[in-house]
Amino acid sequence: MALSWGRGPFPVVTWTLAGLLLAFILVPLLRLGVATTPAALAAEAAQPDVLASIALTLKDAVISALLAVVFGVPLAYVLARRIVRGRAILQAAVDLPLAVPHTVAGIALLFVFGRNGWLGAPLEPFGIAFYGTEWGIVAAMLFVSVPFAVNSVRDAIESLDPQLDHAARSLGATPWHAFRRVTLPLAARGIVTGAVLAYARSISEFGAVVILAYFPMTAPVKVYEEYLQNGLDRSAAAALLLLLVALSTFVVVRVAASGRFAR
Amino acid sequence: MSGEGGLEIRGLHAHAGAFRLRDVDVTVPPGRVLIVLGPSGAGKTVMLETIAGFRRPMAGTISLAARPIAGRPPEERRIGVVFQHYALFPHLTVEENVRFGPRAAGRDDPLAARATLERVGIAHLAGRKPGTLSGGERQRVAVARALAIGPQLLLLDEPLSALDAPTRDELRSGLRDLLHGLGIPAVYVTHDQSEASLIGDDVAVLMDGRIRQIGPAAEVLDRPVELPVARFLGLRSLGAVRVEDGCAVVGPPERTLRAPAGVEGPAVACYRPSEVELASAAAARAENSFEAIVDAVHAQGDVTRVEIGGPLPITAVTLPRVARDLGLAAGARVAVTLPPSAIRIVRSA
Repeated sequence: MALSWGRGPFPVVTWTLAGLLLAFILVPLLRLGVATTPAALAAEAAQPDVLASIALTLKDAVISALLAVVFGVPLAYVLARRIVRGRAILQAAVDLPLAVPHTVAGIALLFVFGRNGWLGAPLEPFGIAFYGTEWGIVAAMLFVSVPFAVNSVRDAIESLDPQLDHAARSLGATPWHAFRRVTLPLAARGIVTGAVLAYARSISEFGAVVILAYFPMTAPVKVYEEYLQNGLDRSAAAALLLLLVALSTFVVVRVAASGRFAR
Repeated sequence: MSGEGGLEIRGLHAHAGAFRLRDVDVTVPPGRVLIVLGPSGAGKTVMLETIAGFRRPMAGTISLAARPIAGRPPEERRIGVVFQHYALFPHLTVEENVRFGPRAAGRDDPLAARATLERVGIAHLAGRKPGTLSGGERQRVAVARALAIGPQLLLLDEPLSALDAPTRDELRSGLRDLLHGLGIPAVYVTHDQSEASLIGDDVAVLMDGRIRQIGPAAEVLDRPVELPVARFLGLRSLGAVRVEDGCAVVGPPERTLRAPAGVEGPAVACYRPSEVELASAAAARAENSFEAIVDAVHAQGDVTRVEIGGPLPITAVTLPRVARDLGLAAGARVAVTLPPSAIRIVRSA
């Protein structure tokens, strides 16, 4: 049973502040919803380049989220189980993309993955290019979404009793067997949450992507271009379309995940 | 000698953060249960974790069935562990928990798992998840899971401490019979003396990371050899003893108690409050008896604690009926007897 709020200024102040913050998030999105007509939205959806940019964004966001989880789970395990010295430094490194402006991240990535970059230059002869390619988009998305995936998985593993690991080992399980049969299934919900958050963050990334790969155009870049070329009203339809697609895939994945991995 | 199949630990040192476990020497022959008894923070769990292989020892040897195991990882030791909070896998059923070990070893056998479940009386719970079980049922699952790997040694870390008192009492005897029927050595950690005396063959008292006393359970629990152990076991100090005519003597001249001299060097006389005899004031006997005035009387559940004042303060624990019959209350006169056999002479450090 929920605890009674009681009377006095506390509930009033709490609800006022909470309501203002919710309004701050929802009002601009609602305003965007009424800034265009269904006909304009349908017309925008019929534009092949708009649809292509949305499809590209969703595809690369999925790849980025999968990479964030595949590489993020081992890192999260190391952080959660405190099996390295300098854990605080590793954790700070993981959180760095949260603090770095994403245009700065894009420029930094360019130095590594650009045509003359540390990795970009030696990989180019093998046909692997990042600048102005989908791989560049994925790299930019991955950079900004890593903290969401790693921290979510780390929290999930940290919340598990370390004695479960001990129990598995004492029963004859190797560290890998214990991880696969105990830690991984019990952390599954956190892993899926991390993937969903990484996916959501990847879809919305603009700053790093636009520097590393302006083309092929992702949906956020396309919306920005519409805004620059055709103004606020024309860009509203594209923006709303992206918002609806992003939100619907996010909700579908989240609901599916919560049902499948509910403990 | 541990004999074939026993556990032998020599000179074991281990650490957990700043805590140090020092110089542990322990032998547990097959079929015997060693109780590691000690207060919280004494190092009991560190000791178990080191034996199980979760913690690397700094020095010393651990042998099981005459085979050194200190350098081996936990999964190669075949040591069954029952954890304090059981550490059952919450995503697996009871049966899957019990089959986890055999599966990991590639020796899964549903019939053997069934037999193990039946052995500890939980076959009817096979399909349930741990989250739906009572504390007592979980404890049995934890034991069954540890036994399913056919362990060479069983370690139990306060396996009854997470249970309520009635369930604990109910499970104690069953656990004792089970452990003694296994034919393997068992190390059982607890801070509960009654559990130690009921379940253990031998007792090692661990305090501040060191084993202070080890021996047959009845002897260790009844005859502590040093003051910290005596205090932990619930004995009270009467003060430093002096030796007169070959006897240990304690107390001022007007209230002297005597006991057989026990140890060399500085010593302290101790007693158990439950062994103090109280009688009506007129009944004071000659030896180790005196008349005294009651300072305070406290009801403590099934017993009554009586504080006796005067030059040699003593605490007695008696039945409420006895306290009533003697009319014990603050200011009442009472005859106090502490028989020489009830006084333990222990080293003061």
